[in-house]
Amino acid sequence: MAPLLEVRDLVTAYGTIEALKGVSLTVDKGSITCLLGPNGAGKTTLMFSITGILTPRRGSIRLAGADITGRSPSAVVGRGIALVPENRLVFPGMTVRDNLYAGAYQRRDRAGIEADVDRMLARFPVLQARVGQEAGTLSGGEQQMLAVARALMSRPTLLLMDEPSLGLAPLVVAEIFRIIAELNREGVSIFLVEQNAHLALQVAHHFYLMVQGLVTFSGDPGSLAEDEVIRRAYLGSA
Amino acid sequence: MLADLAQNTLDGLGAGASYAVLALGFTLVFGVLRLANLAYGPAIMLGAYAATWVSLHAPVPLLALAAITVAGSVAAGAYVERVCFAPHRRARAGSGPAGAAAMAAMVASFAVWMQLEEAATLALPRHLYAFPPLTTGPPLSLGPLALRMETPIGLGVAAAVCAALWWMLYRARFGLAVRAVIERPAAAGLSGIDVSRVSAAAFAVASSVGGVGGFLVAATHGQVTPHLGMWTTLKGMLAMMIGGLGSLPGAVAGGMVLGVLESHSQWYLGPQARDLTAYLLLFALLAWRSRGLARRG
Repeated sequence: MAPLLEVRDLVTAYGTIEALKGVSLTVDKGSITCLLGPNGAGKTTLMFSITGILTPRRGSIRLAGADITGRSPSAVVGRGIALVPENRLVFPGMTVRDNLYAGAYQRRDRAGIEADVDRMLARFPVLQARVGQEAGTLSGGEQQMLAVARALMSRPTLLLMDEPSLGLAPLVVAEIFRIIAELNREGVSIFLVEQNAHLALQVAHHFYLMVQGLVTFSGDPGSLAEDEVIRRAYLGSA
Repeated sequence: MLADLAQNTLDGLGAGASYAVLALGFTLVFGVLRLANLAYGPAIMLGAYAATWVSLHAPVPLLALAAITVAGSVAAGAYVERVCFAPHRRARAGSGPAGAAAMAAMVASFAVWMQLEEAATLALPRHLYAFPPLTTGPPLSLGPLALRMETPIGLGVAAAVCAALWWMLYRARFGLAVRAVIERPAAAGLSGIDVSRVSAAAFAVASSVGGVGGFLVAATHGQVTPHLGMWTTLKGMLAMMIGGLGSLPGAVAGGMVLGVLESHSQWYLGPQARDLTAYLLLFALLAWRSRGLARRG
């Protein structure tokens, strides 16, 4: 498989503190690639660097061969990357429908947008029932569905997801992972940050371990026993 | 007696119309965009001064003066945005304490207020300049009442500006982006919205509304002074507070209430009571009903 996303030697810092200390990884086209690691490893920093919210100090980010390092968030969305951010970050005072429209902001094909809104409401029935409601009144699980749907409205080729299971009930988490696998079968490449190694390794084609700003392991889900993954990722031994 | 009451109310609505447009602008800046922009009124003053300067050098039609006032306010507003607010936007979107950034922007806007007032007095140093009046004809007689033509013109403009803003914010694609940027700048960027451009454009819209209000005020009063910035800030903020911070129809209603109250107090208590009434009202509102009389909507 050809690499869709190539991150090379990426360094991103908050002031003098380097949160990413030279991260290199790739996401293959059509794959689900997963990034595991403890809190503070720099996973969200990596997501923010790829999407242009943070500007890396060094290194490069390429999408399908084109350099997108340091581009603004809106430019990155225009290139076909969408992020479902940690804690969803839906627009709480806007209706579910307006949240979806916001996700399609860069598109001009009115008919296509309307068709996609209908498609999202069909895919996420919980949203259908709440389409005119303000997003802030939705439950955590419903907001997560909305955040995924909003990201999909830009018709991304690469979907980034930062901790989609965070703070959600097990049934909702299972539903999210079912949707992740389904989207992937439809052709969307997915780069997933997860705390829940067990679930992530069930859907992933490839995974990386990240500890303290560095990638410490890379392999296929079968290449390392799950308890070993957990030990390395969360108990701090490399 | 009753005729006085009616006449005062009618006159108050005329003054209230220009307060209403100012309040719409302040609502947009403080209530909708949530920017503590102290230089908003002074930017309006600069627009009115630009029009005054032109009118001193050449006879220009009134509509052209309105356009110059708006253009001047937008230009001054763009300067305020670049200097005071754009530098702190990144702090809001990414890391860093948002409160500190908002405070820095507010203090910067206060400094720009002083700059704009100085610029105006350097260009036109006298304390007072005549501004071409909105209408010159006699008032219309409605039985015992006299209707100054400023009143229907002002009311029409206020209604039109309110309707246009409402449509822009809640029906247009641009308004969707503005609301998204206000609610969650980071998420707006992730949705593909160019946060800097949308913020600057929303700022320009607010400045042009202020320009329309500034023109109405200058042309109804027939004069401008360098204190116009302070004056529009007081009236606009007060009307905004009466209307309930953040509501567009509330801002229009707030302007009307303020205009009518001032008109009555001037008639019954004397002209010196006019501004005193306004300040007392502001004090009472802040003390007892800081969220305004109208509900948010």
